[in-house]
Amino acid sequence: MRAIFPHMLKGFAVCQGLFLAGCLEAVPPDLVKALESIDHDLVALQAAEMAPDDYAHFVRQWIPLRARVQSDDDLVRWPWEANDLEAELRRLLEEGGGTVARLHKERDVKRRMALDKLTRVEERLRLIASQVDAIDGRIVLGGKAVQADLLVKQARSFYDRKDYQRAIQAANQAGRALFVEASVLSKELGRYTDDRRIARWQTLAQQTVDWSRTHQSTAIVVSKADRNLVLYKNGRPILSYPVRLGFNGIREKQFQGDGATPEGRYRITAKRGQGQTQFYRALVLDYPNQDDRRRFVQAKKAGQIPSAKQIGGQIEIHGAENELMAQTLGCVMLENAHMTALFERVQTGTPVTIVGALTEGNAVALALSQLDVRKDET
Amino acid sequence: MKMTKMIAPLALSAFLLAGCAKPPTEQIEAADKAVREAQQSGAATYSAQDFAKLEASLAAMKKEAADQDAKFALLRDYGKVEQLAASAKTEGERVKADAEKKKEEAKAGALQAKQVAQEAVKAAEDLVASAPVGKDRAALEAIKNDVEALNASLNQVQMAIDKEDYPAAQTQAKAINDKSQAVSAEIQSALAKVGKGKPSAAKKK
Repeated sequence: MRAIFPHMLKGFAVCQGLFLAGCLEAVPPDLVKALESIDHDLVALQAAEMAPDDYAHFVRQWIPLRARVQSDDDLVRWPWEANDLEAELRRLLEEGGGTVARLHKERDVKRRMALDKLTRVEERLRLIASQVDAIDGRIVLGGKAVQADLLVKQARSFYDRKDYQRAIQAANQAGRALFVEASVLSKELGRYTDDRRIARWQTLAQQTVDWSRTHQSTAIVVSKADRNLVLYKNGRPILSYPVRLGFNGIREKQFQGDGATPEGRYRITAKRGQGQTQFYRALVLDYPNQDDRRRFVQAKKAGQIPSAKQIGGQIEIHGAENELMAQTLGCVMLENAHMTALFERVQTGTPVTIVGALTEGNAVALALSQLDVRKDET
Repeated sequence: MKMTKMIAPLALSAFLLAGCAKPPTEQIEAADKAVREAQQSGAATYSAQDFAKLEASLAAMKKEAADQDAKFALLRDYGKVEQLAASAKTEGERVKADAEKKKEEAKAGALQAKQVAQEAVKAAEDLVASAPVGKDRAALEAIKNDVEALNASLNQVQMAIDKEDYPAAQTQAKAINDKSQAVSAEIQSALAKVGKGKPSAAKKK
């Protein structure tokens, strides 16, 4: 027995060596690292938030496989044992890699779509704002301009946060709000594109010019759309000046305090020189005239004007108190130097005709044509 | 007698083995509950990756339990199921706590943004209120609409907070703050041009 024992020990050691030499690691460590990297990439792509089904599909396979890797049973295997764990990991690696590539592409497509929509609504917002400023039409929009502006800003914020889906949603909402803005402007100021309306205004202005020629006298014509005042003498234009109107000047005057500049045929009822007016010099007009009163009563009966409202008055052509204000409360305002020139050339009784526009290509019509775009273009 | 002595211990062992191979129902329910509570805490929104992994762990645990259930009773071993259930419960509690913390942070951020926006709107309103009356007020009439619209839009921020849509609340509040500051600057510019003379009483227009 003693003679055999050392041989038995030797034999056992040889067997153990063969055993250890024959065993293999179940999974190459770099394969596990590669899958952890896939998981990391998916997290960086915010897959759990933006593509939850894709991420859930990956982790439902990765989590149990990772647990198997960590389990003792799978640390070693015989060479002849089927290595299903490594095969499954490799399959998942390929699938996960494909998912990462696809989500990268999808995110990029979404980012570009968000940027495209955002750029368009920002541009549209700028266009509308500039056109509205050009025609002093801000008050026509009321609070809508702010609503659209806020939506555009919100879309930009979402984009900056890389939340492209919500940036697209906010940009779409902004687009709809901007469409509503353009529609409101078109509805409220559409008369400036109405041929019949323009023709009536042209007739009124021409009658005033004819009167000036017939009576060998002066007469004033104001075009609200183009914000221009022309002084005629003997039927010929002798002065032409830019003017500023009421803060709601572009609209038809309805009642006291609405900020609109009235339209119609008026006359100068009084001249107020320096020291007699707050605004350098002033030409008082006979607003409201008979037509204005008739329209006011009709509009009140029709419920278009609140019953408590008054018709208003004290509409003037005047200069500036200090710095030239952007708008008036309804009057027609000139720079003082222009006011001086005008004041010296007119008298009490001089006709003053204020019309909406004198040509189809008036400033308001041009502004509206710039904004004429279909809803789906924003 | 000898046979009985041999069979009895064997039968007893088999009986004991069969009795031990029961699914850890309580631990499984505890893990389920922890995951449900994590979901209710908003983990799918505030800790989306961790919650997805938690759900995957729960699914793996349930699969392991089902696999063991499908085996012959004597061969069942629920040790791994217990392990996975314990792990899912612990992780579920962690994810829930993490989600609750992030949700509170998001809410605090939204409330802070709303506060800043409110102050900006108030500043614009105060400027409008300080505007002169009379003919000079024309400069601000158009801007007043903007200030009123900004004030109204603060309601939307609160609605978003109430719906727990904190990203929407924050972006809306930021937009209102930015716009309010721009409007305030415009009002100040307009006020700088007027009011140099005595404010006059309002006249008919």
